[in-house]
Amino acid sequence: MSTRTGLAGDRSVTGPEAARATRRPARRDLTPWLLLTPNVLWLALFLAGSLITLAVISLRGYEPGGRGMLDTWELTHYVNFLTDPFYYAVLWRSLGMAGQVTAWCLVLGFPLALTLSRLRGVARALFYLAILMPLLTSAVVRTFGWMILLANNGFINRTLIDLGLIDEPLALMYRMSGIVIALVEVLLPFMVLALDAALLNIHPQIYEAARNLGARAPRIFVQITLPLSLPGILSGSILVFTLAISAFVTPALIGGPRVEVMATLIYQESMSLLNWPFGAAIAFVMLFTLLILFALTFRLGSRVQPMEAG
Amino acid sequence: MILLSLNALIMLFLLAPIIVVVATAFTTSPYPVFPPEGFTLAWFERFLGMSEFTDAIERSTLLAFTSMVVSAVLGTFSALALGRWKVPGHGAISALMLSPILFPAIVLGLALLVFYHRIGLAGSFAGLVAAHSVLTTPFVIRLVLASLAEFDPAIEEAARNLGAGWWRTFLQVTLPLIRPGVLAGAVFAFIISFDELVITLFLAGPGMTTLPIRIFTYVEYSSDPTVSAISTALIIAWTLIGVPVYVRFLSIRHS
Repeated sequence: MSTRTGLAGDRSVTGPEAARATRRPARRDLTPWLLLTPNVLWLALFLAGSLITLAVISLRGYEPGGRGMLDTWELTHYVNFLTDPFYYAVLWRSLGMAGQVTAWCLVLGFPLALTLSRLRGVARALFYLAILMPLLTSAVVRTFGWMILLANNGFINRTLIDLGLIDEPLALMYRMSGIVIALVEVLLPFMVLALDAALLNIHPQIYEAARNLGARAPRIFVQITLPLSLPGILSGSILVFTLAISAFVTPALIGGPRVEVMATLIYQESMSLLNWPFGAAIAFVMLFTLLILFALTFRLGSRVQPMEAG
Repeated sequence: MILLSLNALIMLFLLAPIIVVVATAFTTSPYPVFPPEGFTLAWFERFLGMSEFTDAIERSTLLAFTSMVVSAVLGTFSALALGRWKVPGHGAISALMLSPILFPAIVLGLALLVFYHRIGLAGSFAGLVAAHSVLTTPFVIRLVLASLAEFDPAIEEAARNLGAGWWRTFLQVTLPLIRPGVLAGAVFAFIISFDELVITLFLAGPGMTTLPIRIFTYVEYSSDPTVSAISTALIIAWTLIGVPVYVRFLSIRHS
């Protein structure tokens, strides 16, 4: 699924597959391995090495104040997290937030992706660029923009009051609603790219056939577009969900200390309270949660796949 | 027609914070209000006069440039191997190499912090470069793979049949052909590294505050249009650099 996440929407990566297959004779060629070695070593050291260290640290004891990290092996931090209702609530809040953000990104991303996948040539390149533009602006900057818009006397509240739709300003800053609005905007481009990749793979003749058989637009959408774009829906949802549950900047700035989520909790425990073992344990709870969700999604995906092939 | 107006609304939502940030950079009010009041360039003058911001820009540029070079080399090599050879375990290797795109930055940041403390890289510039290059290499790989897929491997074969060695073929045939991909990958690597906040927040030692960290801490505790002005400058810079590279990359691919 991660092959759909790049910046350029390059579906042609697997292009001249045939040419590549016939290229190398049976003779053993070490060149590709030499080319791969630097990056593999780099990742083994900095990605695998650091994660193993983090796993070890999450099993170490910790004594607040005095001695800090201990040399003991224990599961205290995992047990603490999973038994304390406060931390439990943070996990559920984060899952709820990521779920809401994913759902909204699907709803708002589909119309954009439908139009994008139908455009060709210069029009497509321009529309693509417009959707990518926000990705060229950092999450900090865009979140700052939302802080200005969402404030009690900000543009959104003043407009709604001027229109007479509300009497009192809506509380959006320091609330989950504000975080969700800003996160949907920050992550929407990723969903559009994933959906666009899937929609482009649907053969136009399928639509033609459906139209010739008398199907109308809503029915075509429900019975053809939606099921055939399922791979994109799943990969886009996994991507957005992962980025949402681990998002730090937007919840930290818009939620503040009032709305704690997994990412802000990890940061606070490890950087403000310097309790690295507990921070590490929370990080692994988050990774395990994501792994379980990935597994469920893939099972769902593989169960539906044979149906659409038929 | 309905789809078109719906799309216009969604695009407005997508671009709203950018419009607001750019507009408030020119307001004459003491705090960022939208719509802005009047017109002034005072906030740009103000941030250019604040050494905490100009120093941070210098530091971020150096960091982004160094990580860009590292990831351009690592990424181009990996993409060549993945795009030109049928190596066993191809799928697993490319999944591993692209995984940093999807890996939660908050976890990687903490993991690198504890790891660097163990191996003695804590608070170092080299540690930041390594972390950023892990994050940006996948983008180089993807863009180079995309441009590799655009030309026929027979061209390289021909060069080799004419007696060119591996190195000469790479320098005189392959590299010029994939240059748009390497360039686009490097530029995106630079921008991503320059804008990176979460991992840097964990790893930056004292005196290594980058621009995103400065902006983040500034926004946390105060609100004035200085941040709008800096952000606007960044948006303009990235657009001026990113868009031409993107257009060139596309035009090569579709010519």
